[in-house]
Amino acid sequence: MIDTLLKKQVDKSQLIFFALSSSLGLAILLIVIQLFIDTRSVFNSENDLLGNQNLIIYKDLGRNNAFTDQEIKELQQQPFINKTGGFTHGTYHVLASVTLPNYTGISTEMFLEAVGDQFIDIKSTDWSWQPGDREVPIIIPKNYINLYNFGYAASTGMPQINEKIIRQIPIELKLTGTSQTKMYPAYILDASEKINSILVPESFLNHTNKTLSPNKASKISRIILDVINPSDPKLLEFLASKNYNYLSNDVQNSKLSYVLKLILSVVLAIGLLITFLSIYLVVTNINLLILKNKQTITQLHFLGYSKVQIAKVYHKIAFKILGVSIIIALLISIGCKFWIAPYLEILQVDSTLITIAYLIIISIIIFIGLAVYYRKHTNSKIQQMLRPNTSLLTTEN
Amino acid sequence: MHINIQSITPDFFTPASSEVWSKNFELLPNSKYLVKAVSGSGKSSFFNFLYGLNNRFSGTIQFDNSAIASLSENDWTSLRRNKIAIVFQGLRLFPELTAMENIQLKNTLTNHKTETEILAMLAQLDINQLANKKADTLSYGQQQRVAIVRALCQPFELLLLDEPFSHIDKAQITNAVNLVNQQVEANQATLIVASLGDTYNINYTKTLLL
Repeated sequence: MIDTLLKKQVDKSQLIFFALSSSLGLAILLIVIQLFIDTRSVFNSENDLLGNQNLIIYKDLGRNNAFTDQEIKELQQQPFINKTGGFTHGTYHVLASVTLPNYTGISTEMFLEAVGDQFIDIKSTDWSWQPGDREVPIIIPKNYINLYNFGYAASTGMPQINEKIIRQIPIELKLTGTSQTKMYPAYILDASEKINSILVPESFLNHTNKTLSPNKASKISRIILDVINPSDPKLLEFLASKNYNYLSNDVQNSKLSYVLKLILSVVLAIGLLITFLSIYLVVTNINLLILKNKQTITQLHFLGYSKVQIAKVYHKIAFKILGVSIIIALLISIGCKFWIAPYLEILQVDSTLITIAYLIIISIIIFIGLAVYYRKHTNSKIQQMLRPNTSLLTTEN
Repeated sequence: MHINIQSITPDFFTPASSEVWSKNFELLPNSKYLVKAVSGSGKSSFFNFLYGLNNRFSGTIQFDNSAIASLSENDWTSLRRNKIAIVFQGLRLFPELTAMENIQLKNTLTNHKTETEILAMLAQLDINQLANKKADTLSYGQQQRVAIVRALCQPFELLLLDEPFSHIDKAQITNAVNLVNQQVEANQATLIVASLGDTYNINYTKTLLL
């Protein structure tokens, strides 16, 4: 009976409108959250288009272009640089030979470099070396494979290769240092899209440098930076002031990532704005409802109905609006997930169903948060209304 | 309920000298009091103080030796359910509900009376045939009788009746007074009736001039 009395002023169409506007805001919020979760791998990955958080810098050619300890220290102190890693190179001549059955062997002079494992986009348990190991793993730039396949192999009639086959090719490394020459069997572990160099494990390079050219110090001529944002103007200004060069491609990729993040953030802000506005509307509507029923509420209170009993009626209304809004928002965002999934595949994002679990958890959290807020708000409104000495309570004298 | 009143005066108007304002007196269980005054002298304010709707007064009111100023909102709700019943001067029925619904709204709080008992009380006041009529279709006198029955549908130790019979004819006043007397005695309660002058043939313990 108390329900019927207190709900007599409820305008259902108005409530449905509020529920729909809240669900629109919440749906945008959930969709953006879901996109953030789904594309997290794109933004964070180390070799992908959008996730390039590394920048390789080097000095102008033609002068002593090694980085001094002082310069490396200075780089490490910059707030926009997380980590620095130097490329160390071999202090010896390298001759690599490949012998393929039925073909004449190829041999080429080359070089070897090493960089900290955390900067390498290839994660493999085989990427290690210690004295006594049979073979040395090598990582080459992906460009080399392309150059070979579409340039050299095509014109000389050699077979084309891919990353899987390339592992099978036995390579003989002849390293000639100042004190001795040594042969090492090697193989190409993988091809990196990120690092344009021929890499061997740091342990191998340190070992060979020490044993083959003990009297030569290795210099660092290129440094890889782990940065928060490669297109950060402060970073670029700093690099320009020091005359350090970098590949502009890296910066551009980062800009793309930045723009995408910005767009998602703007949409998130719009979603938040709509949600706040709709919450405000619902709250205002509940206020109006309470005000319209002021007389009924105070009379019920005279009769012995507690504030809690009266407030419960309004809580139920608010929770229903909220529940309906969140369920609609959740359904829209799940629908959107399946609609967006094929587009995300282009970005090599595996849109997993775990995201839906995340969405449901987030929805429950939003529901609880807003329900607590509505409850508090309604309680305080009713409390205000039922304070002793309000005009309705004391009209008779 | 033992009510101890010590020198109360309303803060929002200056009352004329009376046997209530600025006086010390007690209202005892199993007793009946008439508060008699002309319109505007503060009868309803006195009732509002006792019912906790207004606390703008100086002085002290004690229920069973505890000052009502220290009562919490929940204490008042509990008192209004179980200890203090009231018929407001303005009745405060819900016009959109039927007579029975209005009464049940109060009764369901404590389930004090059965529907048969309620109907019997309505019959005693000759309005049982109106039980299912909406309150706003009833005359003021009929509404007053519904409000009286509603007030009796709870356990009480104090019954406040603010000009309860003003629009009821003499025959029905007798019926209503009989019903009220029965219930007050059954509850061993304190009865306080506010009236402009009529005594309604109730055997008062004391009359307080306001």
